[in-house]
Amino acid sequence: MAHQTEVSHHAPEEEHPTSTGINNRKLLMWVFLSSDCLFFGSLIATYMVYRGQSLVGPYPVDIIDVPITTISTFVLLCSSFAMVRALAATNEDRQGGIIFWLLMTAFLGTIFIGFQVYEFNLFREEGLRIDTNLFGTTFFTLTGFHGAHVTLGIVWLLGLAWIARKGRLGPKTALDVELAGLYWHFVDIVWIVIFTLIYLIGGFDTGPAGDPSLVPHSITGFLGLI
Amino acid sequence: MSSDHGVHESRHPTLKQYVIIAIFLFAITIVEFVIILPEDFRGQGWTIAPLAILSAIKFAAVIFFYMHLKFDNRLLTWVFLGGLALGFAVVMALVGLFTAWTPSPRAFAEDHAKPCTLDHELGGCLEDPSKAVVAPTPGPAPAPDDPGTAPAAAPAVPAGGGLVDTGRQIFITGAGEGAATPCVTCHMVEGVPEAVGLLGPDLSHIGTEAATRQPGVSAEDYLAQSIRDPESFIAEGVDRATPGLMLAAITAGLTDEDVDALVAFLMAQQ
Repeated sequence: MAHQTEVSHHAPEEEHPTSTGINNRKLLMWVFLSSDCLFFGSLIATYMVYRGQSLVGPYPVDIIDVPITTISTFVLLCSSFAMVRALAATNEDRQGGIIFWLLMTAFLGTIFIGFQVYEFNLFREEGLRIDTNLFGTTFFTLTGFHGAHVTLGIVWLLGLAWIARKGRLGPKTALDVELAGLYWHFVDIVWIVIFTLIYLIGGFDTGPAGDPSLVPHSITGFLGLI
Repeated sequence: MSSDHGVHESRHPTLKQYVIIAIFLFAITIVEFVIILPEDFRGQGWTIAPLAILSAIKFAAVIFFYMHLKFDNRLLTWVFLGGLALGFAVVMALVGLFTAWTPSPRAFAEDHAKPCTLDHELGGCLEDPSKAVVAPTPGPAPAPDDPGTAPAAAPAVPAGGGLVDTGRQIFITGAGEGAATPCVTCHMVEGVPEAVGLLGPDLSHIGTEAATRQPGVSAEDYLAQSIRDPESFIAEGVDRATPGLMLAAITAGLTDEDVDALVAFLMAQQ
């Protein structure tokens, strides 16, 4: 541990030449994000397979609120912007900026989680639980895991802000902020996909009695893309 | 803020670029929202393609600029896009696997739908009293009734129906007072809307099948015996013929006349 800390204080990118030419921590983060694509991919696939297959309500059209979620999507996009500002401040060694933008990112992430808590509670009151129907199961699993990722990111950012208060973040340790930023932006792009799929495309799915043309089966939807 | 223009490292975009990208992302999100604003457009199949393309653009903007893949080592781009492509392949494979070769859950349920009032506690169908007085038995009604017992059943006949109708009534609602468990709870019979039970064997063609079950035992005797003492003979090769499920206590309240009526009804299920 002591060795690692020392390294991170001395511009790790220069001190450790690697065969790839990329800092190992950074490569690890990208490999992890790459593998997380598979994780979310399988959850997204499960949602798509069971999309429009619920036999009892509430169905998406009954409870999905696109305008509210569009606002929370904006909040998450804003947080991504705050994150790049935090990294820029770190590179420029503006100590006040580092703490401000890190806390701003965490704050906006918390607002997003607040929207999700509100939404989950609303759905529960409307009768949609994780075991109510296929929609409930796939919806809560996918968005719940995304929310868990955001929550972890908030903890990470707050940890960085805590470190930054003693002036320990700066151009030499910018990678510490950059890695958190990569993770945070990844969580943002996962939400871009989830928002489009569950809310904009699947948010109006009806029950079995609905017009079949309004409930394109997932494979049909997919073929329409190609 | 004065030094904002001076982001020295070439591998990071400038503040101006970040702002432009943020505005760009906002604008695309607004366009996406506008696409599904008219009620006629919502959930339409054609909206999928533009929405998917727009979010793919947002996705690319974030990874190439916010995550500065564009300015970073090429290898990182391949590492991430490789995982992304694999993830996409997983999605395609799972969706294909579970939709192309398997009937969808909803289609299956619709094909096998039976009139049923769900009993959420028991997880099965409740008998719906409003449907208990539907049309009399369609099809062949020449009850192969035993002339000796037919008159005895007469008092129970509701509206001048034969022994078969009496049996049908008992099959649906049970016999006698009290909360008897009627046959329909567990057995289904085609053409009898109330008989949708899925716990016991399908009795739709029991009238034909009964004769072949036990050598040397007539169909009527076999049925009567199976009603009185369900455990006495468990037919082989019959779906859902579960020993120990239909207890003799269930049918203990039936009179001989009731059993005869039930046998007559079941014999009519050819």
